[in-house]
Parts: sequence; C-alpha cells; structure tokens
Amino acid sequence: MDTNWPFWLAGLALGGFVPAFAWLTGKTLGISSGYSEMCSLAAPAGSERWKLWFALGLPLGGLASNALDGTVWAATSSTEMQATLGVSTVPQYALLALGGALIGYGARTAGGCTSGHSIVGIALGAKSSLIATLGFMLGGFATTWAVVQALGATP
Amino acid sequence: MKRAVFVAGGATFGFFLSRARATEFEAIVGMFRLTDLHLFGVIGVAIATAALGLALLRRTATHAWSGEPLRFARKPYHRAVFAGGVLFGIGWALSGACPGTALTQLGEGKAYALATVAGILVGTWAQRRVSALRASAQGA
Repeated sequence: MDTNWPFWLAGLALGGFVPAFAWLTGKTLGISSGYSEMCSLAAPAGSERWKLWFALGLPLGGLASNALDGTVWAATSSTEMQATLGVSTVPQYALLALGGALIGYGARTAGGCTSGHSIVGIALGAKSSLIATLGFMLGGFATTWAVVQALGATP
Repeated sequence: MKRAVFVAGGATFGFFLSRARATEFEAIVGMFRLTDLHLFGVIGVAIATAALGLALLRRTATHAWSGEPLRFARKPYHRAVFAGGVLFGIGWALSGACPGTALTQLGEGKAYALATVAGILVGTWAQRRVSALRASAQGA
C-alpha cells in the first residue's frame, strides 16, 4: 500500500515539472492565484485564466494517485488528523476553515504560496520568495509547537 | 494554449504532490515538529531541480513550444511579503495543507479538505477586498 515515492524522486518530479511546464506552455506555475481566478469567475477571462484550469486539474491528480493504489475515492477519513490534534469533528472543521482563510489571505498578501514562491521563486533567485518562504516556515513552526503545547497532543 | 493542457498539467502536479506525501496531514505536522524530515528533502530537491532546469531553459530557449516568449519574472518584494508569509505558515500548520495540496486532497477523497478549500477562497476574497479598500482610501 505504501507506494509513496522517496523524497529525492518526489523532489525531482515536482522540481522538474516547473521547467518542463514552462518549456511547453511558456508559463511559470503558481497555484494560490488560481483561487483568485475562482473568485473572479464572473469577470471576463484575462491572461491568468489558465491558472483556474491548472487548479481544477489538481484533484484529478489526487484521484489518479489513489486509483493507482486501488483505493478509488476511499475517503481517507479525518480520524488520523483528529487523533493528532486531539479534537472532535466540529472544531476540526473550524480549524481547517480558519487555516484555509489564513492561507488564502497570507498567500495573496505575500504574492504567492509554496509553489510560486518556495519552489519557482527561490529557484529563480527572487529575494521576495526567500523572505516569503522564511515567513511560511516561521509561521508553521510556531503554530505547530503552540498547538502541540496547548492540546498536549502527541503525534 | 488549450484548456485541456492546463488541466492535464494540474493533474500531473497533483499526482506528484500526492506521491510526495505533501497531502498528508501527518507529514506536514512531522515536518514542523522535526520528527519527519521527508518533506524538507522533497522541497530541497525540488528547488534545486527547478533552479537547474530553469537555468538550462533560459540559456537554450527564448520561446516556449507554444510560441509564447519565455519570461521568468521574479515576484516583486514589498513590505507585506514577510507578514503575509507568516499568516500563510500559520494556516499551513493548522490545516496541514497549502493551496495546491488542499485541492489534491479533495481528489484523494479527503472530504475534510472542502473546509480548507472554502477557507482559502474566503481568505483570497477578503484579501482582495481589503487591498481594494486600502487603495481607494489612499486615493481619496
């Protein structure tokens, strides 16, 4: 069942995708701005509309990955996550939605996310991407340690 | 460029994210607790590979296969980049997802990711409202 890739193979695939996609389409990938496109579906399609289609392709990849394991739509339950956080369903969903809102607000403020800033941006040597990624890591470390302390969870 | 190409591109990237375990809550928490360094390895190798590939592409091509000129713009730096990054990081740790993996999780049948995706949409929309209000306040 463990058909996950070792870190080096996954890294080669994700990193290699960036120049391959650029060579094919002339675009550098970014995902958080795909959500902006979802928020402006009513507006006429601009030059960024491809990001919407790219974002909508992502779930298909998740589906294919599961299908390869023979677990099509096996609805990986959220119980593991609940066990890790030590919370029940409703607070869990509230945490997820709150986390999502911070992701959306933060990514658009910083001008990108883990794909556009941390992979593409740093690979291009952009100062803003390095600083944004330092922010991502700092926020993530501080939050995880605070939550673990507060909930006494032991994953 | 046809929409199908971009959908296929997204599907490929989502497949890689899934295989990389970037869609696993435990892997994200493990990364931030330093108990599971797998994702650090993934990100590190991905950055190095992308840097090498992009450098090669810039030297060998001026136009994409699609005919589009190749432009690799660095994202502009401004004062809010770091603060936005920290907010993003808090959300990353709380939800165990980032914008790309939240959508990929949906495809994996993780229904709880609906809450994450809905949150990201609300946050994206709110940021746009706030920056529009700020811009009009400055203009007035």
